[in-house]
Amino acid sequence: MNDGRGLLRRALWFGFISGALVLYLITVGIVLAFSARNTITGVVALGRLMLVAPPLALGFVTAAQGTGTARRLGAGLLTGLASGLILAIFLVFVSAVDIRGILVRVSPALTTFVNFDKGATTGAAINVAIAGAAGLLGAGVRVMTARFRRPLVSAALGVVIVSMLEPFLYPRLTDFGLIVIGRFLFDHKGLTVVAAIVVFAIFAVATVGWPIARRATRQRIAATDPGTQATIRGMTLLVLILFLLALPQIAGAFLSQVLVFVGLYTLLALGLNIVVGYAGLLDLGYVAFYAVGSYLTALLTSPISALHLGLPFWIALPIVILGAALTGLFIGAPVLRLRGDYLAIVTLGFGEISRILFLSDALKPWFGGAQGILSVPPLLGVNHISVPILGWELSGPTLTYYPLLFFCAVAAFVAYRLKYSRVGRAWNAMREDEDVAQATGVNTVNHKLLAFALGASVGCLGGAVFVTHLASVFPGTFSILVSITVLSIIILGGMGSIPGVVVGSLALIGLPELLREFAEFKLLVYGGVLVVMMVARPEGLVPDVTRRRELHEAEAAEPVEALPSSEGA
Amino acid sequence: MRRFRRLSIVDVILLALRVVVVVGVAVGSWATLSAGQLRGDQWRDLLVFGVAQGSVYALIALGYTLVYGVLLMINFAHGDVFMFGGMTAFFVADALSRAGFLEANPILGMTAVLLVAMFSSMVLAILLERLAYRPLRRAPRLVPLITAIGASLFISNSVRGLYGEQVKAYPALTILQGKVDLLGIPILKTHLVVIISALLIMLALYWFVERTRTGRAMRAISEDKDTAALMGINVDRIIAVTFAVGGMLAGAAGVLYALVFNQVHWFMGFLPGIKAFTAAVLGGIGNIIGAMLGGLSLGVLESVAPALLLSGFNVPSPNQLRDVVAFSVLVLVLIFRPYGILGRPEGR
Repeated sequence: MNDGRGLLRRALWFGFISGALVLYLITVGIVLAFSARNTITGVVALGRLMLVAPPLALGFVTAAQGTGTARRLGAGLLTGLASGLILAIFLVFVSAVDIRGILVRVSPALTTFVNFDKGATTGAAINVAIAGAAGLLGAGVRVMTARFRRPLVSAALGVVIVSMLEPFLYPRLTDFGLIVIGRFLFDHKGLTVVAAIVVFAIFAVATVGWPIARRATRQRIAATDPGTQATIRGMTLLVLILFLLALPQIAGAFLSQVLVFVGLYTLLALGLNIVVGYAGLLDLGYVAFYAVGSYLTALLTSPISALHLGLPFWIALPIVILGAALTGLFIGAPVLRLRGDYLAIVTLGFGEISRILFLSDALKPWFGGAQGILSVPPLLGVNHISVPILGWELSGPTLTYYPLLFFCAVAAFVAYRLKYSRVGRAWNAMREDEDVAQATGVNTVNHKLLAFALGASVGCLGGAVFVTHLASVFPGTFSILVSITVLSIIILGGMGSIPGVVVGSLALIGLPELLREFAEFKLLVYGGVLVVMMVARPEGLVPDVTRRRELHEAEAAEPVEALPSSEGA
Repeated sequence: MRRFRRLSIVDVILLALRVVVVVGVAVGSWATLSAGQLRGDQWRDLLVFGVAQGSVYALIALGYTLVYGVLLMINFAHGDVFMFGGMTAFFVADALSRAGFLEANPILGMTAVLLVAMFSSMVLAILLERLAYRPLRRAPRLVPLITAIGASLFISNSVRGLYGEQVKAYPALTILQGKVDLLGIPILKTHLVVIISALLIMLALYWFVERTRTGRAMRAISEDKDTAALMGINVDRIIAVTFAVGGMLAGAAGVLYALVFNQVHWFMGFLPGIKAFTAAVLGGIGNIIGAMLGGLSLGVLESVAPALLLSGFNVPSPNQLRDVVAFSVLVLVLIFRPYGILGRPEGR
């Protein structure tokens, strides 16, 4: 009896949360933005999935507790119905009162979409039914055993993801003469019903088969002698490199542009990762180094800049990196004695100061004020290269891609080697406990400065590549949002984790480029990512082992933590 | 013992920085004053404007200081709590103005607008604490700061989605047009209203913190959270109250800001937020009187300094660089006197 009442309250509470989430998604404009993008043509649009996702997820959560399958399913249903009811009340209210003056996104187009164009009352009733079904489905997924749940969930996600890739897959398939496959998969910017079933089946089978295949392969490799194992590892690396080299050719011009952005942010994040992830110094003014790199490169290489030098990129680069390291030292030196959170704010101050100075009329003779510096020559000095053997034509983004890939590889290699070096261990010690590190003989000031200078150099490198890619530089590019974007990448991937950086920039830079409707909500999502990751999974998606232990240390050592400590110092 | 430490590169850079700042300030002001570029009444107008915007900064800074006092955490999203209050109250102000109520009863109308702003900011601040910060009470120090940065981005972009991107102009009140003479000094009426309301609100806060039971509990928590809990104070509740009070002050600041600058928009939380934080640090973070003084001095500094320091060097359009002044104050205070004007060095 008691359990039943608890479950009821739980279901209603989660239903309320779900309803609030749905209303938020509607009023903030996300639902309408995605209403035109079909997931399965004629069946469901991505915007609709977003309306269904909260009751589904919270039905799943509701059913996590309670006894008896029927009861748990009922609780899920109730969650969904409660959520739907809130939406229904909203829909009826909006049909009677015009609130567009306040909430600008609640347009007739939006209500028509949410209502299935059936009027407020009928539409509201349909929405209650759908939300109830979603809650029930969520609970059902929770109730079933993990053996069924995993392939089901991953297959459903697979369908959504493949449908999102339509704008790129379809034209590329056509380019490669595979229009038959394209026609089979897609129709009206979404998957066809048949294709959706096929994709669903493939993903379901793959989820079941993948762990088995992986275990078998691992066992077979473990059975061979060490020499063969090294060869296999080398071959894997070679295949990866070849794949990365061929990627722009497979991906086409537009996707190469996206790859360049992903690569650029990967580079920036690799640099900031040294400062934040390794040394544990939260630097919110990272954009300052990026800006310094861009402006220095533009000054040195552009023939029409204030210096009139017109140096080739590769001669300018060492000067730029040296200048960057010096900037890092100059900014780093005064602030490094500050405590963690003050350091963050001071670096933020430096970042903003640099932006305003680059923008100002006072320094216009040097940096061009709001107009910036134009005519920066391309990175390799030419606009076009053709590779005769493979028949590749390199120009624009594909041309930037290769140097960028090279720089990323170098930065990742340096970061990886540093991490397990004496310096890396010193950083590690410093991050975990500065006083103890100092007591054991780590020169904290020098190591902090080193981290700052290294991070600054990599950031400058990013700026240098970026400015040659755009052929010009504008102060508007260098807002605080760049620093926060790079920080989000690191947080999402996992602080101190190099694979995490790649995953983070693919997710936060690549995905918004793929989903154009998403661009408007990019920053919203970054903010959400920072909050959710910090609350739910501070070690990131691809965590670094040491870091994870550190962040969960407090839970293990709770009794000690409870002592009044000298936090105020 | 500190005196006998080896001189490192860091000390040299710090010393150089000090010299540059002192010489720069001295030479710049001397050059400007001796050239006599601005007349006396222009300086006075700058000063009054500085006090008006400074009192807005002070109100926001109090929120930073209160939260820092109890949680030792920089609530980076506080600027956006301020923005949310100003934005939400705009719709009430607009509706009242269209109904003609605001012109007929300006005092009652503006009070209603102010209350709406305070209430909405308060609700947001409580939600923020409950959802984003409370789960992180025992986390390492940088974790709540990163969360706060994320929350700031999330709130501002949510408001952009909900209320739209365009700048919204607050209705202008005829009663607030023109100037009044105060002790022989002509002051814009809006500025006078802003300064007086800010002062009244700050007095109310001072009374609340010093004279009420809840205020005493807040002070106890800021001294020692664990002992306060042992004395029977409900720490979670008091922290929520602190956020609520900070939010109310920020909401009021949102309306006063709109009176000074006439407009509100979704991105307006960032700069005043940072500046108010600067003010809080300037006055010694955790110190209530300090936040008030810090806000006023930063406001005046920001309004006067570009003209005073930079025009002496013949810098073109010095007003572009007013934000640099605020950020420089932030950087310099944190580097050289992180415990602020009224604070005392800790642990030394």
